[in-house]
Amino acid sequence: MAVNQFQTQQHQNLQIHRLPQSKFIDAVRWLPPFAAFDKFIVLSLFDPTSSSSTIELHSLDFPDSANPNPILSPLSTFSSPSLSRTSFLKTSQSLIAFSTFSGSLDFLSPNYSSPDEVSLDSLPSLQEKGFHVGPISCIDVLERDCVSVGEDGRVNLVGFGDGKASYRRVFDSDGLVSYSAVKWASPMEFATGGLGCSLQWWDQRRKPGEPALQFKGKWSQKTASGVVHSIDIHPSRKHTCMAGGSSGTVFGWDLRWPQQPIVLSGVGIGERPSNPISESEVWEVQFDCHLQSSNITSMSSSMMPVMMCSEEGILAVLEPGAEPFELLEEPCAINSFDINKQNYSDVICSLEWESLAILSRS
Amino acid sequence: MPAPAAPNSDDQLSLFSPPPSSPKQPIIYPLHHSLSSPVSRIAISWSRGNTLRLSLLPQPSSNGGIEVNDGDDSSGGSVVEVKLSAGNGGIDDDAQWRRIVYGSVAPFAMFQSRKNSAFSFSKLPVGALSNVDWWEYVMEYSKEINSLLGTTKSMASSIVDDPRRILMVDEEPTSLKAAWELLEIFYADKQSQAWLPERLVDWLADYDSLFSETQFTVYSKLVDLQQRLLNMQTIEDDQKYWDCLSSALALGWLDIVVKLLRLHGSYQLDQLSRRETENGLVEAVVVLVSKMPRLRPELQAGRLGECYKNKTDFIKGWETWRARVTKLECSGYWVQCGHQKTREGLRKILQIMLGNTEHLSATTCHWVELYIAHFIYIRPFTVGFESLYSQAQKCIQLKPVSHPHSLMGLMVGILGENTEVVLAECSRAFGPWMVTHAIELLTAGNDQSEILLHEVRQNLGGVSIEELHRLVYAQVLASNQLTWQIAPVYLTSCRPGMGMLEILLYRQPVHLKQGLLKNLEICRLYELDTVSSNIMKIAGVHHWKHGRKGSGIFWLQQAQDEIRLNKIAQQLFDFVGKSVSEESFKQWEGLIELLGSDTRTAGGLEFLHKYRDFKRSLQQVVDGKATDAARQAVESLILLMKNPSTPQQFWLPLLHDSLKLLTWREGPLLDVAQTNLLLNKLQELSMARMRPDYVEADLPTQALSTVRLALATNLGRAILEEQ
Repeated sequence: MAVNQFQTQQHQNLQIHRLPQSKFIDAVRWLPPFAAFDKFIVLSLFDPTSSSSTIELHSLDFPDSANPNPILSPLSTFSSPSLSRTSFLKTSQSLIAFSTFSGSLDFLSPNYSSPDEVSLDSLPSLQEKGFHVGPISCIDVLERDCVSVGEDGRVNLVGFGDGKASYRRVFDSDGLVSYSAVKWASPMEFATGGLGCSLQWWDQRRKPGEPALQFKGKWSQKTASGVVHSIDIHPSRKHTCMAGGSSGTVFGWDLRWPQQPIVLSGVGIGERPSNPISESEVWEVQFDCHLQSSNITSMSSSMMPVMMCSEEGILAVLEPGAEPFELLEEPCAINSFDINKQNYSDVICSLEWESLAILSRS
Repeated sequence: MPAPAAPNSDDQLSLFSPPPSSPKQPIIYPLHHSLSSPVSRIAISWSRGNTLRLSLLPQPSSNGGIEVNDGDDSSGGSVVEVKLSAGNGGIDDDAQWRRIVYGSVAPFAMFQSRKNSAFSFSKLPVGALSNVDWWEYVMEYSKEINSLLGTTKSMASSIVDDPRRILMVDEEPTSLKAAWELLEIFYADKQSQAWLPERLVDWLADYDSLFSETQFTVYSKLVDLQQRLLNMQTIEDDQKYWDCLSSALALGWLDIVVKLLRLHGSYQLDQLSRRETENGLVEAVVVLVSKMPRLRPELQAGRLGECYKNKTDFIKGWETWRARVTKLECSGYWVQCGHQKTREGLRKILQIMLGNTEHLSATTCHWVELYIAHFIYIRPFTVGFESLYSQAQKCIQLKPVSHPHSLMGLMVGILGENTEVVLAECSRAFGPWMVTHAIELLTAGNDQSEILLHEVRQNLGGVSIEELHRLVYAQVLASNQLTWQIAPVYLTSCRPGMGMLEILLYRQPVHLKQGLLKNLEICRLYELDTVSSNIMKIAGVHHWKHGRKGSGIFWLQQAQDEIRLNKIAQQLFDFVGKSVSEESFKQWEGLIELLGSDTRTAGGLEFLHKYRDFKRSLQQVVDGKATDAARQAVESLILLMKNPSTPQQFWLPLLHDSLKLLTWREGPLLDVAQTNLLLNKLQELSMARMRPDYVEADLPTQALSTVRLALATNLGRAILEEQ
């Protein structure tokens, strides 16, 4: 896809590039690189004219410092006529997993031969009737293990064996509970989130087949009506979950004090932050390790900085006890973002108006 | 709406469309479809946006009976969508259009809010606010919209490296951008009204190529010459070279003229000595051309001419320059010039510079070019619309066109100060986006068009023309799944827009979380609380029906729809009665958590919460825990039995489950009053069993009598205890 237009803005230490696409971006992720200086991104695109979905792998290059406009060059594309729209996309070193609104889970394996030549191999997908009924709302991938949750209230673990994907049902609430977010904590533990700002902790060793711990926060009426859209768990502090959801709510859940949420942002909570950064849906949250080295003293505090994006078009970094730092303010929604885990200064966002934003912090 | 078909071949169909210019000759567009048999009927209906949907039906087969579709196309008919793409303004790509649509939201909304605040400050119509700030806002709006339509680059810019390259096309210009810039020149850019002619010269330099679609232009002449230049030795022998020179000069493309003149053979070193006089004349003309006075504040770098900011200086400069041209024209050197074509060509150039009407008319191709040439050489200080318009009329008479380009129509409308024509041309050639956004410029400072466009018209259903066009545009936006969420911005700027916004919101699908939440977000922004709660009800019922009970209850709870919650509670209780056993309770745990203890929004469902508490403490009793647990279980039981929302069908199972409590070994757990309450309930139940609609619980037949006996025993023990 040719990049037609650039808009580059320069903040003090922040470069923002907007790359218009000609299709709707359902999801965007960084792909862990194969060699030191590669930058790859995976896009799930939806073309409204042909009502078709494609998964595209692009390499991202910053040609030189004098001309900072990034160039996105397509490397490989995957599409299939039966492919429904992507509901969630996750990547690991060896796997690109994406779930669809029709309830199937598909896998691609990136095949690296050189920085300019990476192909996508299709792996067997899961689309059996018993897997999920209706849309899969969220998935997470840890190496080659995958966990999926859906509005149907099912929690499934997916693994690869004998060249085919197979799933194991962990839980089925029979539609009594719907899940909207999931995140691995360790190969045996994961967290889920759903309606009513609820969070569950699952431990396959201690309590297989049911949630090991339920978050029971005392929310006010307004917040209790929210939905958790995204969860993140810091790789080195597994006892804290960060969740983002409706009404601009971003809160942490420390398993050691399961009754007490640590609220970073949101409206309608007893002691609420002075100025909520957003009042609409928070679509994604991720721990932001960018300032880790420089800001080591504040590391001892209870919660680390968190990046969030919202329906109102805000991308910001939140930290307890500090003013929110706004990175981006768009006239349209920011549907998702991803922090490059190899280089925390790079962030990529998908904007509602068929556009990508690439942020480089320094 | 069946219409007669006009099939002219097996798989082609013609679409007639009467073009407004020549109503007698319809244009025929062939249309491909997959039917193999002749079409007998067509049904035409509107599809999304400005797309027509044609359903083509073949002749029903003569054998009469019910025909089974055996996979052959002929039996089924075919549906074809026809895009009426008249209004794309040279932008064919849907994605590119959407980019313009997205980009124009922010400037439009910004301009609206500025307009509203300006209006509320002054209490005067916006048109009366002719302060500098206002025009800055208008220009900012216009510039932002303009920037979406492509980057401005002049086609006539020159390259230093290649002297034989006279034309440079950086980017394909679009009619849409050309039209917007024309509107900007006349309606928005009040700061440079004094330099209007020069702005039009620049405009034509940028967009003359667009007219080549329908007629011969100076641009197309230059493109031809460009081709010939590459393999031509003695350029000055070619008549085309001289034609192009005078044409380019007539339109004020001075750099091209100078560049071409410098290609003249007399400049070559080996010729210089032989053609000294000739070369002197060419160079003299070059100097005159590059010194031409221009009434404008500045020129782009590399452009030729001398700028004059005010009129008096310009007139002085112009007269001096003209005198020099006349002097050269009367010079004696012409006789000494041996090359005939050079002599004639150069003198023609001088004639053009002197404003010779015949030459100007002969060297330009269509009326807009002639009009611009007039501005440059005959009336460089034209101001006032009246003279502009009459001048244009004269040019049109001199160079009539059979199929006028849409930009020509637009220009005539603007010059004639005819707002209706301008709108009609915008609408016809560029579609609803253009009209909606251009109206802002038309009404920016013009009282008359403001009155015309803002007046409420009964024949339009009580809206103004401006609002009508916004509604039409909103309709187009709403028909596309990627742009529908922009429609509210335009709908809410119209009087009946709110009602339409409600309809739009109700029409959106609710089954996907993202779409539903987007919908609710729009409701929140526009404070449509009723709509929001109705949408939540719709979503709740949808989820409930599709087996997602938790989501269903959640959304109905959000909508505070107690009636439906109570209704589905009955269904849920039937389900609970069957499925809740000790081990499957974990399934319910999440739902009960979700319900919380807030009775107000939970409807009859709060029962589940208490039922769970009771079951849990009972579980502990069964596990053999202390009497405390048993006492807690009794408390829960009494709470449940006292509560009016506990469904009757649960009374007996509850009591039956508590048999162990009723016959507690260490002593009676229930006091007299409590036992009496339970006995009363039991009595009520026995009465209810007579009614036909009573649902028998799934319990042993003697359950009732067992419970009664246990209660009676307990009552006796309790009385003894209390004495």
